[in-house]
Amino acid sequence: MQITKTNDNDSLTIALKGRLDTLTAPQLDAEIQGKLDGVKSLVFDFKSLDYISSAGLRILLMAQKVMNKQGSMVVKNASSEIKEIFEVTGFCDILTIE
Amino acid sequence: MGFNFRGLAFKQSLMILAAITIVFGLIFGIMSYKTQNMLNKMTVENGEETSRANVNYIDKLFNASKLIGEDLSHKLTDHPMTKSDMDDFLLQSLFNARNLVPQVVAVVVAYEPGMGPETPKGEYMRLARFNHTDTKLVTGANYQDKEWYASTRDGKTSRWQEPFIGEFVPEPIAVYTVPLFKKDKNGEDVLVGVLAVDMSIEFLKEEIGSIPVSNSGYALVTTAKNLAVAYPKELAQGKRNRDIIVREKRGQKLIDFDRKGRDSSGLFIGTVADGEESAIYYTTINSTNWTFMVVWPIQKYLEDQSAMRRLFLLMALGGYGIIFVIILLISFRVAKPLKELALAARKLGRGNFDVAIPKMKGRDEVAEFAWAFSNMLTELKDNIEKQKDMKRIERELDLARNIQLSMLPGEERDENSDDDRHELAPFLLPAKEVGGDFYDFFKIDNDHLCVVIGDVSGKGVAAALFMMVARIILRTMTKNLKSVVDAFNKTNYALAKRNRLNMFVTVWAGIIDLRTGHIDFASAGHNPPVVRHNDGSVEFIPSKAGLVMAAMEDTVYKQQSYEMKKGDTLFLYTDGVTEATNSENKLFGDDRLLETIKKSGDLDTANTCTFVKKEIDKFVQDVPQFDDITMLAVKFNGSDEPVWERYEKTIDVSGNNKGELKSFVEDILTPMDGAKKMQMQDAWERYEKIVDVIPENQDILTAFVEGILAPMDGSMKSQMQINIAIDEIYSNIVKFSGATRVTLIVEVRKATLTARLTFIDNGKPYDPIKQADPDITLPAEEREIGGLGIFIVKKTMDSVSYRRNGENNELAITKTL
Repeated sequence: MQITKTNDNDSLTIALKGRLDTLTAPQLDAEIQGKLDGVKSLVFDFKSLDYISSAGLRILLMAQKVMNKQGSMVVKNASSEIKEIFEVTGFCDILTIE
Repeated sequence: MGFNFRGLAFKQSLMILAAITIVFGLIFGIMSYKTQNMLNKMTVENGEETSRANVNYIDKLFNASKLIGEDLSHKLTDHPMTKSDMDDFLLQSLFNARNLVPQVVAVVVAYEPGMGPETPKGEYMRLARFNHTDTKLVTGANYQDKEWYASTRDGKTSRWQEPFIGEFVPEPIAVYTVPLFKKDKNGEDVLVGVLAVDMSIEFLKEEIGSIPVSNSGYALVTTAKNLAVAYPKELAQGKRNRDIIVREKRGQKLIDFDRKGRDSSGLFIGTVADGEESAIYYTTINSTNWTFMVVWPIQKYLEDQSAMRRLFLLMALGGYGIIFVIILLISFRVAKPLKELALAARKLGRGNFDVAIPKMKGRDEVAEFAWAFSNMLTELKDNIEKQKDMKRIERELDLARNIQLSMLPGEERDENSDDDRHELAPFLLPAKEVGGDFYDFFKIDNDHLCVVIGDVSGKGVAAALFMMVARIILRTMTKNLKSVVDAFNKTNYALAKRNRLNMFVTVWAGIIDLRTGHIDFASAGHNPPVVRHNDGSVEFIPSKAGLVMAAMEDTVYKQQSYEMKKGDTLFLYTDGVTEATNSENKLFGDDRLLETIKKSGDLDTANTCTFVKKEIDKFVQDVPQFDDITMLAVKFNGSDEPVWERYEKTIDVSGNNKGELKSFVEDILTPMDGAKKMQMQDAWERYEKIVDVIPENQDILTAFVEGILAPMDGSMKSQMQINIAIDEIYSNIVKFSGATRVTLIVEVRKATLTARLTFIDNGKPYDPIKQADPDITLPAEEREIGGLGIFIVKKTMDSVSYRRNGENNELAITKTL
């Protein structure tokens, strides 16, 4: 999985490419954990993400909880398959999906 | 080691000594008596010898004096005399008498008043007396009352007077008195006076006192009135005659000795002058009726006797001592080894079997005993060793039995044969003696369960060992050959081949297809099992029993089969059940067994076995269990899964070998007819991948599945969802199961574009389906991430099913591509 981070003042865009699964989730976790200080706007760009497993959902949930306190978080460009995962898991209710 | 007064040696010695004492005592008594007699006789002889000469001498003197007196009396009566005639006569008489008997010291005449010569009235007494130098004539007076005169006058007979010291002769004298008579006018004798011859007895003292007598004895003379008149000077010691009294010992008393009423001579024990006790020989001096005695002080007298006694006693004591020592030696010779043996026996009693038995020389009874004892010890030792061995063997047998029983599978869980399609419970209650019953159950593969029950002929170690061998061979054969009959044939051959003890075993074994309830079974002479149907009816499975196993090498068993319906329970048992016997010698029997199984209703397998056992207990009551009681019940729960004919091939999926797989399928399908072919074309393709449980292997599995599914041209979404499912399931296994190995079986059915993935892991039991779904309506802050993965799987897959199959978790998902 490739992770591309783009910083713009207090907004951070993270673009993911490949699979966010059990094996790759720790990489993302390492990029985010403790590195969201001062970030008011967090954007996940899932345009190139093939799929997401519960391990990825876990990181999204964690990030959402952080951003609920200091700003906003958006998931962009998710494929229909990924959106379906968000649907079945009820994540569509807590995530802002554009 | 002190002397044992209760010991054999002492007792024996004491008894022998007592006997010897009695013998010695008798001999001693007889000897003493004999000696006494002999000594008495010798003493008497000695006394007689001593006495004879002296008594004769004394008798001679006294008789001479007596004759003188008689002679003189005659002369006096014949011739009437004047006073001067009388004087001459007296002087002449004395002179003559002394010539004959020098001891005569005086001749005396005394007349009745008026009767004397020239004496018309009044007394007349005249005597001639010798006083050692010359002879004198003396006139006496006042004689009529004197003893010597009066006794003779009154007695009118001549006699010896008791000695006395004379009035005119101042020394002890013995006087012989003779009465004098004169014829009167009528010619009758008239007493006119008395003549006396005085005899000095001083000589007696000297003579008698100097008589030598052996053994410190001495002689003694007493008068008729027991007055001692002659005795050794030493005896006098200032005593007067009358003090010298002879006394005789009668019992403990001393009485004055009197010869009257006794023999004229003899021996007695008594005292003289209150002196020491003496043996006294006496004999009569006839002339005077006096007594002559020979006295030996008893000490001296007894000296010989006691010397002899002492000698004898000494000899006896010496002999006694020697005998005592000999007895002691013999006794100790006997008792010592006995004592040692006793000591050894005591040690032996305390368990010391290495005690040394004293070595005995010789061939006597003690040696024999010691030998026997030694033998006993050896044999006892051997026996105890044997006993110990027996005990050990028994213990080891118990151990063997325990091992044997513990090697039988206990629960299905342990055997990893448990799943939801069946339920199984074994039961084995061993009899006291090691027996040969066994049961077995194991899975041949995921869907085939083998159940076995068997009974080895006989009991004991042989049966137990045989049972273990039979069970293991049968188990291995069945697992490898996957066919009961093949396993039976091979096992029988293996057992029969080297069966020198001609043992055999009856076995019933069946392989149950857990998907269908179909049983392939074979029987080697074993009782047919009972089936309890779901509706409660019961029956024996029609089972044709072959020959018992191990009997003949080339026995061929016949495969039989039976179809179990859902809910049927198969009940296997040994003859310990049907041949349980009650006190009336009745068997539990087949009918009662059927009845019992029927009565058990819908109890589960474990309780069915227990129920049968209880019924058996009720039947036999307190009769002890003779045989092992063994049962095994299996209930077929059935399965809703479709059952397919199964063909297996293992291929390496890493290479390009799809063609190989294809030809495998073609080979199977080609001979089939149309319908069947259609059905078979619909079959699943099956791929299997086994990986170690490490996170990185998830990629391998994903790639494996993609490699299979990609050519099937399914939708990307399905592919992605399957990938997510693999991710979720595998990561769960990695994180929570503790499994070390995961087998992924991928089955695809091209006809319907369906894939089935079965994850088999050897981790702890975990049924994800039973987990509660997470609440997906909560706000982000309250969300729990756990359980979400499986939830996704459940939501995205067509079906998810779980089975715990033995030691494995089997999680299967299906998805239309």
